[in-house]
Amino acid sequence: MSNLSERSLLDTSKNIWSKYSAVFVFIILFAVCTLLTGGDFAEWNNVTTILRNASTIGIIALGMTFVIISGGIDLSSGPVMATAGTVLVYMQGSGIPLIWSILACIAVAAAFGFINGIITTKVKVPPFIVTLAVGIIARSITMYICTGATVTGDNTDTFFKSIGNGKILSIPTPFIIMLVAAVIMTILLVKTKFGTFVFAVGCNETAAKYSGIKVDRIKILTYVIAGICVGIASTVEISRMVAVSSTTTGAGYEFDAITAVLVGGTSLSGGRGAIYGTVIGAIILFFINNMMIQLDVSTYLTGAIKGAVIMIAVLLQARNK
Amino acid sequence: MASLLEMKNITKSFYGVKVLSDVDFTLERGEVVALCGENGAGKSTMMKILAGVYKSDKGDIYLDGEHLSPNLQALDMQNRGVSMIHQEFNLMEHLTVAQNIFLTREPLHRNGLINYKQMNTDAKELLVSLGESGIRPTALVSSLKTAQKQMVEIAKAISFNVKVLIMDEPTAMLTMKETEILFDLIRRMAKKGIGIIYISHRLKEIKAVCDRVTILRDGRFIVTEKVSELTEQQIANYMVGREVNVSKATDYTGDPDDIILDVRHVSDSLLKDVSFTVKRGEILGFSGLVGSGRSELMEFVFGIRKTKTGEIYLNGKQIINKIPASAIKRGISFVTEDRQQSGVVIKRDIKENINLIDQVKNKGFINKASKQKNNTARMIERLNIKCAGHSQLVSNLSGGNQQKIVIAKWLLVDSDLLIMDEPTRGIDVGAREEIYRIIHELSAEGKTIIIVSSDLTEVLSICQRVIVMHEGAIKAELTGEDRTEEIIMSHATNAS
Repeated sequence: MSNLSERSLLDTSKNIWSKYSAVFVFIILFAVCTLLTGGDFAEWNNVTTILRNASTIGIIALGMTFVIISGGIDLSSGPVMATAGTVLVYMQGSGIPLIWSILACIAVAAAFGFINGIITTKVKVPPFIVTLAVGIIARSITMYICTGATVTGDNTDTFFKSIGNGKILSIPTPFIIMLVAAVIMTILLVKTKFGTFVFAVGCNETAAKYSGIKVDRIKILTYVIAGICVGIASTVEISRMVAVSSTTTGAGYEFDAITAVLVGGTSLSGGRGAIYGTVIGAIILFFINNMMIQLDVSTYLTGAIKGAVIMIAVLLQARNK
Repeated sequence: MASLLEMKNITKSFYGVKVLSDVDFTLERGEVVALCGENGAGKSTMMKILAGVYKSDKGDIYLDGEHLSPNLQALDMQNRGVSMIHQEFNLMEHLTVAQNIFLTREPLHRNGLINYKQMNTDAKELLVSLGESGIRPTALVSSLKTAQKQMVEIAKAISFNVKVLIMDEPTAMLTMKETEILFDLIRRMAKKGIGIIYISHRLKEIKAVCDRVTILRDGRFIVTEKVSELTEQQIANYMVGREVNVSKATDYTGDPDDIILDVRHVSDSLLKDVSFTVKRGEILGFSGLVGSGRSELMEFVFGIRKTKTGEIYLNGKQIINKIPASAIKRGISFVTEDRQQSGVVIKRDIKENINLIDQVKNKGFINKASKQKNNTARMIERLNIKCAGHSQLVSNLSGGNQQKIVIAKWLLVDSDLLIMDEPTRGIDVGAREEIYRIIHELSAEGKTIIIVSSDLTEVLSICQRVIVMHEGAIKAELTGEDRTEEIIMSHATNAS
């Protein structure tokens, strides 16, 4: 009997670790960073910088979480962000009301998500290939529209600029946007039947289909949600400079977003994951960036550390399975 | 000289449920021994322990008089000459016949590359020695027929210098003629001194090909006896532990004109102009061999399988189920055959699984937590599901309880027509009895139930009418006194 309770205690602690490993990694990393920088790291100014920088990737990663839980992947986020951003800057620059410009930006990104979803489900091409191709096409279209250059909008619009640069109650606006989005996404994933179906599809597509779930529709919706998130992220990112570089805006963001999702504890094979983990995952990534700068380590080494973090995070989860 | 194989006091539990207790088994050189028992009697577990797939909790295995360590894995056992041919073949569909036979033991050139010429010659030799010259070693396994795939499995086992060959339901998917060829091969292998363990439900086959029969029931050794000393009836009685044929289901007593489902002229690549009806409150059974088209027919009714022709009338009105969701909305439930594949969402919890269909069927976007909690509690009680709580993962449940979860999620939506495909496969006797109890309760409530089952005892004891299918067509429809194991079997194998 005592053996049994000991075992269940061990199981419980193992469960807690596996469920909240992202939180633990976050706390440990924060402590280590603070110690290494002699407290500079934990300064409010520095913290807000991290949060502001993490928000764009974080918002993209929220949508990515849905896609990955349902068993898919989206490699088009970065390029689509540039395309949608170009639309935003052009419309805003030509005097169209900001709200319409932003809505158009989100709609364009959502449309790309819809295309990803339709081709993945109806033509049955693996999402890795579909979204890779759509990403390449989106980047190319952006460069064609901008003739490979950087385009700028109306730089005098202070409200627009405050979306990316401002603060509310001394908290960076982008971070607040991310938090609000994260709360909505959590409700969608945990409290609605759509969320339940996303998990079911990612766990066992056949069982989901036989249970009467419209699997294709669920998958398409996850890509559309990912698109909407890319549109919001684009608005936040573009508003900081009111400019889009057709070649570099959003470059590599899809991989940063996937990294954030995985570090946050979502399973790449689908069926398991949580939104709060993704938020923490995104912040952890920018912790690392920030610490490298604070410690005066060559920025060329950032990738090496990021790569190691991904591997450690995934290994920790695999061990606890 | 010691026996070829001796297994002594084998004991094994899963999730605290004892599936084998102190079972003994022996096999001599050149002997064909049948291992018999109902589903869940422990045959497969026993053989998987022998093949190194499972580790026994207790007990000893001696091969050629040598005591084997309980820690040997499947590959170690194969290298020692124990091979098992599973009902679902273990072949790589996209590799060639020769590649499959010599997987992990490929003959190499000096430079380390695979010597395909040698490999194909060796494979050819093996296949010819089995009397099977029609299979090319370079053919892809995916291009072979079922019987040919089985030959490849046998060739693979023999290439390991097999001493003990375990065959799990080897004739389940074979035609009569293919079965004869297989029996001939079994006899020749036995002559060479190979010991063969033959697992089957088909008593006629056991009489035809086996020397001795060992019978298990509820995880216990019951008897071992020369086949010539026992009649089929005696073997059956030992298997179930009581006189069989007593509890045959009574005939349908409801209104014969009250037809709830009328399916007409279903044809496609497998199904051949199939039509049938079922009456309200009736329990209708579909019997036949694996691959006879029973599941496919049900998949058509449920909107999963597309066919060339076919009409469905529900309560006299024609309906078209393009997707499962429309079938569910019309009050049809479908407990699928393979609970792991298509039944449960195994990595999620009990509550989520039980409420899944209800969520599909009902409107509303936000989950109603209290309603879900009530539903879950109600179903756990009604089906007597043994679990630690609502949020226990389904993957931690035993097979019988997982099956109850599948049934629970379909019961929750209160359908008028419940299709159950192999509702009790691979679950223990206790759980099976409970599922039968639920089926009878539902029938008494006026629900209609269609049961697809390969378990003849099951079909006979709960189905009021039995339709027998063979190669995609309906061969017979049996009621009353015509419902016997022999008559069903002869139609299923097209013997009559």
